[in-house]
Amino acid sequence: MSGRRSSSRGNSVSEEEINELISKLQSLLPASARRRGSSQASTTKLLKETCSYIKSLHREVDDLSDRLSDLMATMDHNSPGAEIIRSLLR
Amino acid sequence: MASTSSSTAVDERERKRKRTSGGESPAAGAEAQPSKWQTRREHEIYSSKLFEALRLVRAGSPASSTTTPARSRLVREAADRALAVAARGRSRWSRAILASRRRRLQAAHRARLRAPTVPPSRHPSAAGTSAAPGKASKTPALARKAKVLGRLVPGCHKLPFPALLSEASDYIAALEMQVRAMTALAEVLSSVSSSASASASGSSSSSPPPA
Repeated sequence: MSGRRSSSRGNSVSEEEINELISKLQSLLPASARRRGSSQASTTKLLKETCSYIKSLHREVDDLSDRLSDLMATMDHNSPGAEIIRSLLR
Repeated sequence: MASTSSSTAVDERERKRKRTSGGESPAAGAEAQPSKWQTRREHEIYSSKLFEALRLVRAGSPASSTTTPARSRLVREAADRALAVAARGRSRWSRAILASRRRRLQAAHRARLRAPTVPPSRHPSAAGTSAAPGKASKTPALARKAKVLGRLVPGCHKLPFPALLSEASDYIAALEMQVRAMTALAEVLSSVSSSASASASGSSSSSPPPA
């Protein structure tokens, strides 16, 4: 586990690595909460943003899988549709 | 069955690819880049895996034999599994998704033979254990948020903070790709089924969906 980090001698990871990871995470989040001088975004707020974003992504995936399962049920009756899609994807 | 043989062929190709690509990736730096989830290639790989998994789901549960919420749960699990396979085992959450499913299947099979040996995951409730000693500003609020985050990302509830951050960023990028791929697939399916029903002839209409 500790051998995978690039600069892990011993168990402690440097502070700047954590800041780098935090900024990378922040860049992934939708820019809705980012203000000018984003260095003032505290880590707690960032983690809260991350948690809510992951939850919303989960919800979206659930909705999409609902939709896909409905579509699959209706698609059972026309198998030519599946053939077309399969030929498009290959 | 043709579908199972093709899926095992895909798995074998995946395993070979994982072996060769595991040799050429250097150990320095992060092992799972979040940016790789945004390439078109990854999107295509995931879409085809997702489609195969959905076909298996459809073949496994014939029409109206399973209730709608159960079927969507099957779809969700298949999509997560396909996402975990697309990660090629380089991230902890993907391994946790695949391992938990395998463990659950094995436990269901061996439930009668011996007692389930799943150890209760007792992680200490003290907030200081997740931080390395000597690091300031680890207030309980931060540790609480970190714990919530660890519960959201599969398999990462015991990770130290920096590893948790790295896993979370990769997981977010992967989830975004999953949403994009599933949306696109839903669009294609809905347009195909709507055009097929609109033609009302039932014969194969070879009109490609609008790109």
